[in-house]
Amino acid sequence: MQALPPAVTFPAAAPAAAGKPVIRFIEVGLSYGQRRILEGIDLDIWRGEFVSIVGPSGCGKTTLLRLIAGLARKDEGQVFYNGADVREPSPDVAVVFQDYSKALLPWRTASGNVALALEAMNVPRKEWADRIGSLLDLMGLFKDRDKLPGQMSGGMQQRLQIARCLAQEPKVLLMDEPFGALDAITRQSLQDEVLRIVAERKVTAFFVTHDLEEAIYLGDRVVGMAANPGRIAKSFVVDLPKPRDQLTTREHPRFLAMRHDLFSFIKHG
Amino acid sequence: MNAVARSLWLAGSLGVAAGFVAVWHAVSAAGLVSPVFLPPPAAVGRALVNGFTNGDMLANLAATVARVFGGWLLASLLGIVLGVIIGISSRARIYVAPSLEAIRPLPVSALVPIFIGLLGFTEQMVLAVIAFGALWPTLLSTVHGFGAVEPRLYEVCRSLRLGRWEVIRKIALPSAMPDILAGMRVGLTVSLILVVVAEILGSREGVGYSILLAQRSYQAADIFAGIFLLGCVGYASAGLINIAEKRLIYWRR
Repeated sequence: MQALPPAVTFPAAAPAAAGKPVIRFIEVGLSYGQRRILEGIDLDIWRGEFVSIVGPSGCGKTTLLRLIAGLARKDEGQVFYNGADVREPSPDVAVVFQDYSKALLPWRTASGNVALALEAMNVPRKEWADRIGSLLDLMGLFKDRDKLPGQMSGGMQQRLQIARCLAQEPKVLLMDEPFGALDAITRQSLQDEVLRIVAERKVTAFFVTHDLEEAIYLGDRVVGMAANPGRIAKSFVVDLPKPRDQLTTREHPRFLAMRHDLFSFIKHG
Repeated sequence: MNAVARSLWLAGSLGVAAGFVAVWHAVSAAGLVSPVFLPPPAAVGRALVNGFTNGDMLANLAATVARVFGGWLLASLLGIVLGVIIGISSRARIYVAPSLEAIRPLPVSALVPIFIGLLGFTEQMVLAVIAFGALWPTLLSTVHGFGAVEPRLYEVCRSLRLGRWEVIRKIALPSAMPDILAGMRVGLTVSLILVVVAEILGSREGVGYSILLAQRSYQAADIFAGIFLLGCVGYASAGLINIAEKRLIYWRR
């Protein structure tokens, strides 16, 4: 057994952070008929924190995301955003869906798809060109601004969906297995882009994935769920140095130790 | 398709059309069918020229075209509006759609006497018949198109807090546009059929009425001239729908 390196210090958004959590689940439960989807969910997420949620399929991780988004109901308990009960979607909260091809308007160009968020936010029309331009530029899509989603690759479409979410100027970014359908190379570059954007914009991120390495690589904290009933079974802080790097972070002994731990948790519960 | 292939294709299809006319001419010239029932193509051509120069063919054609498009536009507008109202609510879709499906197969031509009884031998009667008959395909396809909108898009709208009217205008209508246009295309065919029925049964002008008159006076060439004109109207309107489809659903391959 390899000795662990000394603890690295960096300003991680540890759960011990001061003040109130941005998102708070208290004893949340949910059933579909006889099936228990969620049970006794208690979870606090702090401002600026990047929380990765992993777990087997059917453990309710997407439902957790939808509860924060105001897109799902619950039977018991409470979900708070900034201290207020979540009853409907909030303009502060943006959702990146996994199925980008279904979440984009196929009849609108890249610019038009970003514009949808500006229309929804009632942004004055004279600001559109600048804001759309800088967002598409940020996501590396400026030269593709007049393309339709059908003319773009999967990675470009997902970048476009992220651009539309950022157009909302969200304080919380919810991502539901956003890179699950992408190839490995595209996935890695998007992981780094998301990390950079989240850090620059000081956004709180909630990232659902079934890729354990992705969860550790991105997260300040990893929350592991178990199924039947869906519940939180594990939670640990990722004390890896920032900025993360695809090569060195993934080779870091702490990374490997956490990966080992998480794999055996998912395998054996 | 490149320009050469395109012109070859065009020449080929014109050749096929010319072949049909040639066969028609041969059958007629050989006396296989009495010219009382099947006039030679040249006679039909003369009847057309004559109708436009000396007769009131142009007025008849104008009246028919105006009715077809007036009735069809009315039907399409009504169909889309009603379709949106029914289609936007999944509950309304479930409860109302079966009744609509039951009404649809009714042959509207059978209802013409009722419309004549209600509205008399008037222009409104002709328009009402066409509008009522051509309404169904557009109405049902709009309802269907609204039911087939990607649910994920509705979630995106909820998440963005778009209002109901904005969701209809920006999401559901564009998404349902292929279905709506397909319905309108069928509606146009129905309009063309019903304009002839309505003109034969209850009007004093129009291509349908001119066919009726020609039949009463055994002018087979004039009957064929009328049919030819109706064919042209149908062909031109299908072309218009094709253009509309290219412009409105450019995003679909």
